[in-house]
Amino acid sequence: MSHDLPQGTSWRQTWAIVVAAYRELNARKLFWLSLLLSGIIVAAIAGLGLDEEGISVFGWTFESPFFNSTVVPSATFYKLLFTNLGVEWWLGLGSTVLALVSTAGIIPDLVSGGAIDMMLSRPIGRGRLFLTKWMTGLLFTSLQVFVFTGACFLVIGLRGGSWEPSLFVAVPLVVLFYSYLFAFCALVGLLTRSTVASLLLTMVFWFLVFGVQSGEALTNWGRTGSAMEIASYENEILRREAENPNDPYLEDLLEERDAQAEDDATWRLVHNCFMGVMAPLPKTGETLELLERLLVDRSGIQAPERERRGEGIFGSNRVRAREVRGEIDRQAVSRSLWWTIGTSLLFEVAVLVSCVWIFRRCDF
Amino acid sequence: MDNTSVIDLRNVRKTYKGRIEALRGIDLGVGAGEIFGLLGPNGAGKSTIVKIMMTVVRATAGGGTLLGKPLGDKGALARVGYLPEHHRFPPYLTGRQVVDFFGALAGMRRTERRLRTEDMLELVRMRDWADRRLGTYSKGMQQRVGLAASLVNDPRLVVLDEPTDGVDPVGRKEIRDLLLRLRSEGRTIFVNSHLLSEIEMVSDRVAIMVQGKVWAQGTIDDLTRSSRRFEITVRGAAPEWAASLGAVRVEPASSTIALQVADAVEAQPAIDRLRAHGAIIERAVPVRESLEDLFIRAVTDPSSGGTFNPGALRDRPSAPPPPLEAAP
Repeated sequence: MSHDLPQGTSWRQTWAIVVAAYRELNARKLFWLSLLLSGIIVAAIAGLGLDEEGISVFGWTFESPFFNSTVVPSATFYKLLFTNLGVEWWLGLGSTVLALVSTAGIIPDLVSGGAIDMMLSRPIGRGRLFLTKWMTGLLFTSLQVFVFTGACFLVIGLRGGSWEPSLFVAVPLVVLFYSYLFAFCALVGLLTRSTVASLLLTMVFWFLVFGVQSGEALTNWGRTGSAMEIASYENEILRREAENPNDPYLEDLLEERDAQAEDDATWRLVHNCFMGVMAPLPKTGETLELLERLLVDRSGIQAPERERRGEGIFGSNRVRAREVRGEIDRQAVSRSLWWTIGTSLLFEVAVLVSCVWIFRRCDF
Repeated sequence: MDNTSVIDLRNVRKTYKGRIEALRGIDLGVGAGEIFGLLGPNGAGKSTIVKIMMTVVRATAGGGTLLGKPLGDKGALARVGYLPEHHRFPPYLTGRQVVDFFGALAGMRRTERRLRTEDMLELVRMRDWADRRLGTYSKGMQQRVGLAASLVNDPRLVVLDEPTDGVDPVGRKEIRDLLLRLRSEGRTIFVNSHLLSEIEMVSDRVAIMVQGKVWAQGTIDDLTRSSRRFEITVRGAAPEWAASLGAVRVEPASSTIALQVADAVEAQPAIDRLRAHGAIIERAVPVRESLEDLFIRAVTDPSSGGTFNPGALRDRPSAPPPPLEAAP
């Protein structure tokens, strides 16, 4: 910053850009539509309730001996609704799509002819201008998540009788999740200078990341199940050897174990490939799962059983799907913050550094 | 005008992708307190030179100073007001918000900004519309607000790219008056415009750019000096022997004799001889090239009689325009 500039110039410039961004959001119908939809979802959550007889929907009670306040406490019921419906579906999907639609034009608008000239002629560095504009794009999501979480906080407090300030951990984590996508969106917007292209390519990127994460999850399931099945064979072989070293089934078991080991090698190879692709990409799904786990830990929500169906895995009658799920959940918990957030932030920083480098070298 | 250089560009070159040479070594100097007009046909590189000064475009080579500081110096930019051609302000902001926004980007404090915003809106006669969104403004109103935004930081140098674009004749006159007022306040004004008559009315000095080069720069008087002449119209046909008076052109059909002289004093001997031979002088007037004539001469290819191609390609440079001195 030049010494010729009045003190506090940087703050005044940043504040002016933030205020202008807020005015832009205010002028966008989609911002208010998104808030309205948030309101409807919160109202729907508030309209549901549990009492001793069953579940009530806007005053009408549907009797249920399996789902009532004696089985699930009201506060837990609302927290589950918040995590499963509010965070996973609304904030993680619906609201994110609306936010992308609303903010995809921020960078293309910034760099469009006629708009950028006067901005660049002011005493503000290009890098700071770009990053400030990028951060204003997160304003949309921040406000949406804050309002939604605040409303859910009130509903859980008033209807469930439990005041849980830890719900607000959703604000930074959902904004973080959105920032991965918005960094990519900004890069495409800068390169193409087109709102439509940046929106569509970001959606495609998000879908690809989801595909890679799903592939990793699927192969991890196979790999974990396979490893557990081998372990099961090993245990049985050891047990039979101890009981009767001449057990006629031992040879069959050894053959089956070896065949399973071959399968296991394939699962490991494919899973490692997916992990290799996934490593540098943002962990969108895992960031939201991390939020879910934090909410479960801090709000005392009993994690719902995800898998009750099926006793075996891939035709196996040795390992139960539930056991595999348990093991995978343990793996997920043991994955470090560095893996989930650190590598995602590295991706984001790399994308933003590229953006700034390009923006600083661009002619407009 | 004083001799302090407000804009000093040295050998500025710009080559765009596709090997298009937009600027081929520009040397340009603008002194403090003057109105400087930059002229040139489309594609001559006028906007590129303005954008390089305003750091919107980076020069491929060369450089210079703005308000005595190297190009891009933040302190200097804080004292520059710039209105680009085809500017586009966010339609969701009001006129007042736009002016305030650009004041804040220039680093102005809030109190000072508020006062200046009101003053500038008053100056461009947009105060009554200040709280309406820009989306509801006409082109001319947007131009006025743009002017207010470019002046809000009390600039020492005002750079205007086509400031009268989309403005009605009354508005144009107001802008011309505004430029003169800004000059009287000691500011330097750099105007890039296609409207030669407007430039001629207000500019102290001009530069004409052709194909990425400055063809000529100076006061309009200096630039048209070589074309100065004295035209004498006599009753009846101009005598053949008038050529011996030193006339550069004798047109018997129009009874006009054109003398290449600096002023009326130098024309007197020729008038005396004509009168001595009984010629009746009907009219004797000093004539010189208009800025438009000069401009057309600059952009006309003498070999083909047509105008030069806009811009220039590195691989296929056009023939350079003839130098100013070679003009008739």
